Amino acid sequence: MTYYESEVNRIKNTVFANQGQLDTVIGLKNYIDGHLDQDLNLELMAHLRFVSKFHLLRLFKRYYGQTPKQYLIERRVEKAKAYLREGMRVQETCFAVGFESPSSFSLLFKRRTGKSPRAYQKEQFSIRNSSLEFGNCNKEPNLNSHES
Amino acid sequence: MEIAIKNQTLIHMRVSVLSVPVLNQEQALKFYTEILGFVKKLDIPVGNDSRWLTVVSPDDQEGTQVLLEPAPIHHEPTKVYQQSLLESGIPWTQFDVDDVEAEYDRLSKLGVEFSMKPTVVGTSKVVVFKDTCGNNLQLVEAL
Repeated sequence: MTYYESEVNRIKNTVFANQGQLDTVIGLKNYIDGHLDQDLNLELMAHLRFVSKFHLLRLFKRYYGQTPKQYLIERRVEKAKAYLREGMRVQETCFAVGFESPSSFSLLFKRRTGKSPRAYQKEQFSIRNSSLEFGNCNKEPNLNSHES
Repeated sequence: MEIAIKNQTLIHMRVSVLSVPVLNQEQALKFYTEILGFVKKLDIPVGNDSRWLTVVSPDDQEGTQVLLEPAPIHHEPTKVYQQSLLESGIPWTQFDVDDVEAEYDRLSKLGVEFSMKPTVVGTSKVVVFKDTCGNNLQLVEAL
């Protein structure tokens, strides 16, 4: 066994010894992953896991290093990037990943990625087109229908 | 002082390169592309048979580049440091995957040597293998 593996085992058996707590936070993370377009209902999650809402928040932050809300936003932005790359319109993307208004979506997207959703999408298509051979570059979707 | 504060809102540093020291750049390129599945991005001769050689994830080709740098060939302390980490089983760096077990099976079939089998640690599953160029690498799956 390497030094690294013995350290991993030590950490596993000391820091991460409470399997019940791990199951709780992993369950919450999986729930968030499967419901990105919905509001985070921590009360419901806490109720299902037989813990208080604040305890659940603290546990999640302890094991994942960020709050459930921060994690949800990160995943939503990640998903939004994927949708935009696929050619989904900005407004449609906004609602598909659970934001209530295009303006708040665009603001948050820009804060997290440095670009507006529309600028990001244009950039992605120009990158893709530049890597294609001539003759295959004409399939850019209409990016003008929904301004961010 | 005023200029510095002003610039703080304008200049955002970005993470574009992650450096991995390798004992043989050509061998590393083959391993990182043909075995691990990365894609070659930049290959620029920089003299002394060395190259500015980077690979990227096929899913994120504009994302962070992995620089396969020949430091241990030219710089003895780097070689010593790299060797120590290798012998201790400590990964030089890590990459994210969706399914650690699937990657373990796939890479095992390709003859990759593992120093740690898939192991659950807290909210992650990890596995460690040798890159044939002087490093251990870790794959991580978020649980």
